[in-house]
Amino acid sequence: MYGKKASQLCQELSRIEDDQLHPFNNDLFNQVLEESNEHFYQLESRMTKMHADGLDLQTTQNQDYYGGLIHHLSLLRNKRCLLTYIYQRTQNIQRLRWQLGAVLPEDIQERLNHFEKEYFKSYSDLIGSYMTSIDLDLVVDVTPPKDPYIQVRVMDDVGEVFLDDQSTSLLRNSIHLMKRTEAEPLISQGLLEEFAG
Amino acid sequence: MEGDVAGSSRGNGADSSARFRNSEELQDWMNEEGDGSADMSASDVDMLKRAWRNEKAAPEVLPFQTLLVERVREQILLMEDNLVAFSGEISEELMLSLYRMDLDRTLFLLRAYLRTRLNKIEKFALHVLKAQELWDRLSEQEQDYAQRFTDSLHKHFQQTVLGKLPYGYQSIMKQATSSEEDDMIPEPNLDTFVFCRSKRAIGAFQLDEKGDETVDLMADDLYILRYRPIKDLLDNDRIELV
Repeated sequence: MYGKKASQLCQELSRIEDDQLHPFNNDLFNQVLEESNEHFYQLESRMTKMHADGLDLQTTQNQDYYGGLIHHLSLLRNKRCLLTYIYQRTQNIQRLRWQLGAVLPEDIQERLNHFEKEYFKSYSDLIGSYMTSIDLDLVVDVTPPKDPYIQVRVMDDVGEVFLDDQSTSLLRNSIHLMKRTEAEPLISQGLLEEFAG
Repeated sequence: MEGDVAGSSRGNGADSSARFRNSEELQDWMNEEGDGSADMSASDVDMLKRAWRNEKAAPEVLPFQTLLVERVREQILLMEDNLVAFSGEISEELMLSLYRMDLDRTLFLLRAYLRTRLNKIEKFALHVLKAQELWDRLSEQEQDYAQRFTDSLHKHFQQTVLGKLPYGYQSIMKQATSSEEDDMIPEPNLDTFVFCRSKRAIGAFQLDEKGDETVDLMADDLYILRYRPIKDLLDNDRIELV
Protein backbone atom coordinates (compact mmCIF):
# COMPACT_ATOMS: atom_id res chain seq x y z
CA MET A 1 0.00 0.00 0.00
CA TYR A 2 1.30 3.46 -0.85
CA GLY A 3 2.53 5.49 2.07
CA LYS A 4 2.68 2.49 4.36
CA LYS A 5 6.42 2.55 4.86
CA ALA A 6 6.47 6.26 5.47
CA SER A 7 3.84 5.91 8.14
CA GLN A 8 5.86 3.12 9.75
CA LEU A 9 8.76 5.53 9.90
CA CYS A 10 6.64 8.05 11.75
CA GLN A 11 5.13 5.43 13.99
CA GLU A 12 8.61 4.59 15.09
CA LEU A 13 8.94 8.13 16.37
CA SER A 14 5.79 7.95 18.39
CA ARG A 15 6.80 4.68 20.03
CA ILE A 16 9.96 6.24 21.34
CA GLU A 17 9.92 7.55 24.86
CA ASP A 18 10.22 11.29 25.04
CA ASP A 19 13.90 11.77 25.44
CA GLN A 20 15.20 8.70 23.69
CA LEU A 21 17.08 8.93 20.47
CA HIS A 22 17.08 5.69 18.52
CA PRO A 23 19.62 4.74 15.89
CA PHE A 24 18.78 6.19 12.53
CA ASN A 25 16.60 3.75 10.60
CA ASN A 26 18.56 3.85 7.37
CA ASP A 27 16.85 0.85 5.85
CA LEU A 28 13.30 2.05 6.12
CA PHE A 29 14.30 5.63 5.39
CA ASN A 30 15.95 4.69 2.12
CA GLN A 31 13.03 2.47 1.17
CA VAL A 32 10.70 5.41 1.52
CA LEU A 33 13.01 7.50 -0.61
CA GLU A 34 13.09 4.80 -3.28
CA GLU A 35 9.33 4.52 -3.16
CA SER A 36 9.09 8.27 -3.66
CA ASN A 37 11.22 8.13 -6.73
CA GLU A 38 9.14 5.25 -8.04
CA HIS A 39 6.02 7.36 -7.53
CA PHE A 40 7.60 10.10 -9.53
CA TYR A 41 8.51 7.69 -12.30
CA GLN A 42 4.94 6.45 -12.43
CA LEU A 43 3.60 9.97 -12.40
CA GLU A 44 5.94 11.03 -15.16
CA SER A 45 5.13 8.09 -17.40
CA ARG A 46 1.42 8.84 -17.07
CA MET A 47 1.98 12.45 -17.89
CA THR A 48 4.11 11.54 -20.90
CA LYS A 49 1.41 9.19 -22.06
CA MET A 50 -1.25 11.85 -21.80
CA HIS A 51 1.04 14.21 -23.61
CA ALA A 52 1.62 11.68 -26.38
CA ASP A 53 -2.11 11.17 -26.70
CA GLY A 54 -2.43 14.87 -27.23
CA LEU A 55 -4.54 15.42 -24.11
CA ASP A 56 -4.53 18.62 -22.11
CA LEU A 57 -3.03 17.97 -18.66
CA GLN A 58 -5.12 20.67 -17.01
CA THR A 59 -8.57 19.59 -18.10
CA THR A 60 -8.48 15.91 -18.98
CA GLN A 61 -9.78 13.67 -16.26
CA ASN A 62 -9.14 10.17 -17.45
CA GLN A 63 -7.60 7.19 -15.69
CA ASP A 64 -4.07 8.39 -16.33
CA TYR A 65 -4.85 11.70 -14.71
CA TYR A 66 -6.19 10.13 -11.52
CA GLY A 67 -3.46 7.53 -11.48
CA GLY A 68 -0.89 10.26 -11.69
CA LEU A 69 -2.66 12.28 -9.03
CA ILE A 70 -2.49 9.37 -6.61
CA HIS A 71 1.22 9.03 -7.20
CA HIS A 72 1.64 12.75 -6.73
CA LEU A 73 -0.24 12.75 -3.45
CA SER A 74 1.59 9.67 -2.22
CA LEU A 75 4.83 11.42 -2.97
CA LEU A 76 3.76 14.47 -1.00
CA ARG A 77 2.83 12.25 1.88
CA ASN A 78 6.17 10.51 1.78
CA LYS A 79 7.97 13.82 1.70
CA ARG A 80 6.03 14.96 4.71
CA CYS A 81 6.80 11.81 6.67
CA LEU A 82 10.48 11.86 5.78
CA LEU A 83 10.81 15.46 6.86
CA THR A 84 8.88 14.76 10.03
CA TYR A 85 11.24 11.94 10.84
CA ILE A 86 14.28 14.13 10.29
CA TYR A 87 12.76 17.12 12.06
CA GLN A 88 11.74 15.20 15.16
CA ARG A 89 15.24 13.89 15.41
CA THR A 90 16.71 17.36 15.10
CA GLN A 91 14.49 18.38 18.01
CA ASN A 92 16.10 15.68 20.09
CA ILE A 93 19.54 16.63 18.86
CA GLN A 94 18.95 20.25 19.78
CA ARG A 95 17.73 19.26 23.22
CA LEU A 96 20.86 17.21 23.75
CA ARG A 97 22.97 20.27 23.03
CA TRP A 98 21.24 22.11 25.86
CA GLN A 99 21.38 19.19 28.25
CA LEU A 100 24.80 17.72 27.63
CA GLY A 101 26.84 20.53 26.16
CA ALA A 102 28.91 20.73 23.04
CA VAL A 103 30.40 17.25 23.23
CA LEU A 104 28.14 14.22 22.98
CA PRO A 105 28.96 10.98 24.73
CA GLU A 106 30.09 8.10 22.55
CA ASP A 107 26.91 6.03 22.88
CA ILE A 108 24.72 8.86 21.65
CA GLN A 109 27.09 9.75 18.82
CA GLU A 110 26.63 6.24 17.49
CA ARG A 111 22.91 6.75 17.09
CA LEU A 112 23.32 9.75 14.83
CA ASN A 113 24.02 9.47 11.17
CA HIS A 114 26.72 11.46 9.47
CA PHE A 115 24.51 14.42 8.60
CA GLU A 116 23.03 14.56 12.06
CA LYS A 117 26.47 14.80 13.58
CA GLU A 118 27.14 17.70 11.28
CA TYR A 119 23.84 19.26 12.25
CA PHE A 120 24.63 18.88 15.92
CA LYS A 121 27.93 20.61 15.40
CA SER A 122 26.47 23.50 13.49
CA TYR A 123 23.64 23.89 16.01
CA SER A 124 26.16 23.81 18.81
CA ASP A 125 28.27 26.51 17.12
CA LEU A 126 25.14 28.52 16.56
CA ILE A 127 24.12 28.44 20.21
CA GLY A 128 27.70 29.22 21.16
CA SER A 129 27.97 32.24 18.94
CA TYR A 130 24.56 33.55 20.00
CA MET A 131 25.58 33.31 23.63
CA THR A 132 28.86 35.04 22.84
CA SER A 133 27.05 37.79 20.97
CA ILE A 134 24.84 38.54 23.95
CA ASP A 135 27.64 37.80 26.41
CA LEU A 136 25.50 35.54 28.58
CA ASP A 137 25.55 31.81 29.21
CA LEU A 138 22.01 30.55 28.64
CA VAL A 139 22.66 26.91 29.35
CA VAL A 140 22.85 27.29 33.11
CA ASP A 141 19.93 28.15 35.38
CA VAL A 142 17.34 25.93 33.78
CA THR A 143 15.20 25.82 36.89
CA PRO A 144 14.41 28.84 39.00
CA PRO A 145 17.03 29.14 41.72
CA LYS A 146 15.77 28.49 45.22
CA ASP A 147 19.08 28.89 46.92
CA PRO A 148 22.25 30.27 45.39
CA TYR A 149 24.19 27.40 46.92
CA ILE A 150 23.50 23.71 46.69
CA GLN A 151 25.00 20.67 48.25
CA VAL A 152 26.44 18.18 45.84
CA ARG A 153 28.02 14.78 46.00
CA VAL A 154 30.89 13.94 43.69
CA MET A 155 30.17 10.87 41.57
CA ASP A 156 33.66 10.22 40.34
CA ASP A 157 37.14 11.55 40.96
CA VAL A 158 37.22 14.80 39.07
CA GLY A 159 40.40 16.27 40.44
CA GLU A 160 41.29 19.89 40.95
CA VAL A 161 38.83 22.43 39.62
CA PHE A 162 38.51 26.15 40.04
CA LEU A 163 35.29 27.05 41.76
CA ASP A 164 34.56 30.60 42.69
CA ASP A 165 38.21 31.38 41.91
CA GLN A 166 39.41 28.87 44.46
CA SER A 167 41.00 25.58 43.66
CA THR A 168 38.90 22.73 45.02
CA SER A 169 39.62 19.07 44.88
CA LEU A 170 36.58 17.01 43.91
CA LEU A 171 37.12 13.52 45.21
CA ARG A 172 34.70 10.69 44.72
CA ASN A 173 31.84 10.69 47.24
CA SER A 174 32.96 13.88 48.89
CA ILE A 175 30.27 16.44 49.58
CA HIS A 176 30.57 20.09 48.71
CA LEU A 177 28.54 23.22 49.05
CA MET A 178 28.91 25.22 45.92
CA LYS A 179 27.29 27.87 43.79
CA ARG A 180 24.38 26.53 41.83
CA THR A 181 25.57 28.20 38.64
CA GLU A 182 28.89 26.42 38.94
CA ALA A 183 27.44 23.09 39.93
CA GLU A 184 24.80 22.82 37.21
CA PRO A 185 27.10 22.15 34.24
CA LEU A 186 28.94 19.52 36.28
CA ILE A 187 25.65 17.93 37.31
CA SER A 188 24.39 17.71 33.75
CA GLN A 189 27.66 16.08 32.76
CA GLY A 190 27.01 13.49 35.43
CA LEU A 191 30.08 14.37 37.48
CA LEU A 192 28.09 15.56 40.47
CA GLU A 193 24.67 14.92 41.84
CA GLU A 194 22.55 17.07 44.03
CA PHE A 195 22.81 15.84 47.56
CA ALA A 196 19.80 16.32 49.74
CA GLY A 197 21.30 15.61 53.13
CA MET B 1 6.93 28.40 42.07
CA GLU B 2 7.34 31.03 39.37
CA GLY B 3 5.68 33.53 41.58
CA ASP B 4 8.50 33.83 44.01
CA VAL B 5 11.35 33.69 41.60
CA ALA B 6 12.08 37.32 41.56
CA GLY B 7 9.68 38.94 43.86
CA SER B 8 10.05 37.69 47.39
CA SER B 9 12.67 37.07 50.02
CA ARG B 10 14.02 40.53 49.98
CA GLY B 11 15.27 42.18 53.08
CA ASN B 12 13.16 44.90 54.53
CA GLY B 13 14.90 48.15 53.75
CA ALA B 14 14.00 50.00 56.88
CA ASP B 15 15.24 47.38 59.35
CA SER B 16 18.55 46.36 58.01
CA SER B 17 19.79 49.36 56.11
CA ALA B 18 21.44 50.94 59.14
CA ARG B 19 24.46 48.75 58.75
CA PHE B 20 24.81 49.66 55.12
CA ARG B 21 24.98 53.39 55.43
CA ASN B 22 28.57 53.36 54.24
CA SER B 23 27.40 52.15 50.86
CA GLU B 24 25.26 54.27 48.68
CA GLU B 25 24.58 51.52 46.21
CA LEU B 26 23.43 49.05 48.77
CA GLN B 27 21.32 51.74 50.32
CA ASP B 28 19.78 52.43 46.96
CA TRP B 29 19.10 48.80 46.48
CA MET B 30 17.36 48.51 49.80
CA ASN B 31 15.24 51.55 49.19
CA GLU B 32 14.35 50.60 45.70
CA GLU B 33 13.58 46.99 46.37
CA GLY B 34 12.22 47.33 49.86
CA ASP B 35 9.14 49.30 49.06
CA GLY B 36 8.77 48.25 45.45
CA SER B 37 5.65 46.26 46.11
CA ALA B 38 3.71 49.21 47.43
CA ASP B 39 4.88 51.41 44.61
CA MET B 40 2.66 51.93 41.59
CA SER B 41 5.48 51.89 39.07
CA ALA B 42 6.79 48.37 38.66
CA SER B 43 10.50 47.75 38.87
CA ASP B 44 12.44 46.60 35.86
CA VAL B 45 12.66 43.12 37.30
CA ASP B 46 8.89 42.96 37.66
CA MET B 47 8.53 44.13 34.11
CA LEU B 48 10.96 41.51 32.92
CA LYS B 49 9.00 38.90 34.79
CA ARG B 50 5.87 40.02 33.03
CA ALA B 51 7.60 40.06 29.65
CA TRP B 52 8.82 36.52 30.29
CA ARG B 53 5.38 35.29 31.26
CA ASN B 54 3.77 36.91 28.25
CA GLU B 55 6.40 35.41 26.04
CA LYS B 56 5.86 31.97 27.53
CA ALA B 57 2.10 32.08 27.06
CA ALA B 58 1.82 33.75 23.68
CA PRO B 59 1.81 31.46 20.65
CA GLU B 60 3.90 33.85 18.53
CA VAL B 61 7.10 35.65 19.27
CA LEU B 62 6.52 39.08 20.87
CA PRO B 63 8.51 42.29 20.35
CA PHE B 64 11.93 42.13 21.94
CA GLN B 65 12.11 44.33 25.03
CA THR B 66 15.30 46.05 23.99
CA LEU B 67 15.40 48.85 26.52
CA LEU B 68 14.17 46.75 29.39
CA VAL B 69 16.77 44.05 28.76
CA GLU B 70 19.45 46.72 28.52
CA ARG B 71 18.44 48.23 31.86
CA VAL B 72 18.26 44.85 33.57
CA ARG B 73 21.68 43.92 32.25
CA GLU B 74 23.12 47.14 33.59
CA GLN B 75 21.58 46.40 36.95
CA ILE B 76 23.04 42.92 36.92
CA LEU B 77 26.50 44.30 36.22
CA LEU B 78 26.11 46.79 39.02
CA MET B 79 24.96 44.11 41.42
CA GLU B 80 27.89 41.90 40.47
CA ASP B 81 30.30 44.75 41.11
CA ASN B 82 28.69 45.40 44.45
CA LEU B 83 28.99 41.79 45.42
CA VAL B 84 32.69 41.80 44.66
CA ALA B 85 33.20 45.06 46.50
CA PHE B 86 31.51 43.81 49.65
CA SER B 87 32.49 40.18 49.57
CA GLY B 88 35.29 40.77 52.07
CA GLU B 89 33.02 41.87 54.88
CA ILE B 90 32.20 38.82 56.91
CA SER B 91 29.75 40.67 59.11
CA GLU B 92 27.46 41.29 56.16
CA GLU B 93 27.33 37.71 55.08
CA LEU B 94 23.59 37.28 55.46
CA MET B 95 22.84 40.44 53.55
CA LEU B 96 25.29 39.50 50.85
CA SER B 97 23.71 36.10 50.53
CA LEU B 98 20.29 37.68 50.08
CA TYR B 99 21.77 40.08 47.60
CA ARG B 100 23.36 37.20 45.75
CA MET B 101 20.01 35.42 45.67
CA ASP B 102 18.35 38.49 44.26
CA LEU B 103 21.01 38.67 41.58
CA ASP B 104 20.63 35.00 40.72
CA ARG B 105 16.90 35.37 40.36
CA THR B 106 17.25 38.33 38.07
CA LEU B 107 19.76 36.40 36.00
CA PHE B 108 17.43 33.44 35.84
CA LEU B 109 14.61 35.62 34.58
CA LEU B 110 16.78 37.14 31.91
CA ARG B 111 18.02 33.77 30.74
CA ALA B 112 14.56 32.22 30.81
CA TYR B 113 13.23 35.14 28.79
CA LEU B 114 15.89 34.81 26.12
CA ARG B 115 15.60 31.02 26.04
CA THR B 116 11.84 31.12 25.60
CA ARG B 117 12.29 33.43 22.65
CA LEU B 118 14.93 31.25 21.06
CA ASN B 119 12.62 28.30 21.37
CA LYS B 120 9.87 30.05 19.50
CA ILE B 121 12.24 31.41 16.90
CA GLU B 122 13.49 27.90 16.22
CA LYS B 123 10.01 26.52 15.99
CA PHE B 124 8.78 29.07 13.47
CA ALA B 125 12.08 30.13 11.95
CA LEU B 126 10.93 30.06 8.32
CA HIS B 127 7.78 31.94 9.15
CA VAL B 128 9.66 34.57 11.12
CA LEU B 129 12.07 35.06 8.25
CA LYS B 130 9.24 35.58 5.81
CA ALA B 131 6.99 37.87 7.83
CA GLN B 132 8.49 41.32 8.11
CA GLU B 133 6.36 42.16 11.12
CA LEU B 134 7.73 39.24 13.10
CA TRP B 135 11.26 39.76 11.84
CA ASP B 136 11.24 43.29 13.23
CA ARG B 137 10.35 41.96 16.65
CA LEU B 138 13.68 40.20 17.03
CA SER B 139 16.83 41.68 18.46
CA GLU B 140 19.76 41.98 16.13
CA GLN B 141 21.39 38.91 17.61
CA GLU B 142 18.17 36.95 17.34
CA GLN B 143 17.83 37.89 13.70
CA ASP B 144 21.28 36.57 13.08
CA TYR B 145 20.35 33.45 15.00
CA ALA B 146 17.12 32.89 13.08
CA GLN B 147 18.90 33.29 9.77
CA ARG B 148 21.70 30.90 10.61
CA PHE B 149 19.35 28.42 12.23
CA THR B 150 17.21 28.28 9.11
CA ASP B 151 20.26 27.88 6.93
CA SER B 152 21.54 24.98 8.90
CA LEU B 153 18.15 23.26 9.14
CA HIS B 154 17.62 23.75 5.44
CA LYS B 155 21.02 22.28 4.70
CA HIS B 156 20.23 19.31 6.89
CA PHE B 157 16.86 18.72 5.20
CA GLN B 158 18.53 19.13 1.84
CA GLN B 159 21.18 16.54 2.56
CA THR B 160 18.91 13.97 4.11
CA VAL B 161 15.62 14.27 2.26
CA LEU B 162 15.03 17.10 -0.16
CA GLY B 163 18.10 16.52 -2.29
CA LYS B 164 17.11 12.91 -2.79
CA LEU B 165 13.55 13.58 -3.83
CA PRO B 166 12.58 13.93 -7.49
CA TYR B 167 12.83 17.27 -9.23
CA GLY B 168 9.87 19.46 -8.41
CA TYR B 169 9.53 18.14 -4.88
CA GLN B 170 12.72 19.54 -3.41
CA SER B 171 11.54 22.81 -1.92
CA ILE B 172 11.49 23.43 1.82
CA MET B 173 8.79 26.05 1.35
CA LYS B 174 6.41 24.23 -0.96
CA GLN B 175 5.20 20.68 -1.01
CA ALA B 176 5.72 20.58 -4.76
CA THR B 177 6.34 23.14 -7.49
CA SER B 178 2.67 22.86 -8.37
CA SER B 179 1.70 24.47 -5.06
CA GLU B 180 0.85 28.07 -5.65
CA GLU B 181 1.75 29.30 -2.20
CA ASP B 182 4.39 28.34 0.30
CA ASP B 183 2.36 25.65 1.97
CA MET B 184 5.00 23.94 4.05
CA ILE B 185 5.90 26.57 6.60
CA PRO B 186 4.77 25.98 10.15
CA GLU B 187 3.01 28.97 11.61
CA PRO B 188 1.93 29.63 15.16
CA ASN B 189 -1.74 29.02 15.82
CA LEU B 190 -3.05 32.42 16.80
CA ASP B 191 -6.48 31.03 17.60
CA THR B 192 -5.22 29.07 20.51
CA PHE B 193 -6.57 29.93 23.93
CA VAL B 194 -4.55 31.83 26.49
CA PHE B 195 -5.07 32.76 30.11
CA CYS B 196 -4.98 36.47 30.57
CA ARG B 197 -5.59 39.07 33.19
CA SER B 198 -6.62 42.63 32.67
CA LYS B 199 -4.83 45.26 34.66
CA ARG B 200 -7.63 47.75 34.62
CA ALA B 201 -11.29 47.47 33.72
CA ILE B 202 -11.49 47.58 29.94
CA GLY B 203 -15.19 47.13 29.66
CA ALA B 204 -17.04 45.31 26.92
CA PHE B 205 -14.52 43.90 24.48
CA GLN B 206 -15.36 42.49 21.10
CA LEU B 207 -14.07 39.00 20.45
CA ASP B 208 -14.98 38.61 16.80
CA GLU B 209 -15.42 40.87 13.82
CA LYS B 210 -19.17 40.60 13.69
CA GLY B 211 -19.50 41.75 17.24
CA ASP B 212 -21.69 38.83 18.32
CA GLU B 213 -19.34 37.85 21.02
CA THR B 214 -18.21 40.29 23.64
CA VAL B 215 -16.67 39.90 27.02
CA ASP B 216 -16.66 42.35 29.88
CA LEU B 217 -13.05 42.68 30.97
CA MET B 218 -12.83 43.59 34.63
CA ALA B 219 -9.70 44.58 36.46
CA ASP B 220 -7.69 41.68 37.89
CA ASP B 221 -10.06 38.99 36.70
CA LEU B 222 -8.76 35.94 34.91
CA TYR B 223 -10.05 35.05 31.45
CA ILE B 224 -9.44 32.28 28.99
CA LEU B 225 -9.71 33.79 25.54
CA ARG B 226 -8.49 33.21 22.04
CA TYR B 227 -5.17 34.87 21.42
CA ARG B 228 -5.97 36.59 18.13
CA PRO B 229 -8.60 39.09 19.28
CA ILE B 230 -6.70 40.13 22.41
CA LYS B 231 -3.37 40.54 20.64
CA ASP B 232 -3.71 44.30 20.42
CA LEU B 233 -4.53 44.60 24.09
CA LEU B 234 -1.31 42.75 24.82
CA ASP B 235 0.64 45.03 22.48
CA ASN B 236 -0.69 48.04 24.33
CA ASP B 237 0.23 46.44 27.61
CA ARG B 238 -3.36 46.57 28.85
CA ILE B 239 -3.52 42.90 29.70
CA GLU B 240 -0.96 40.33 30.71
CA LEU B 241 -0.83 36.63 29.97
CA VAL B 242 -0.40 34.16 32.76
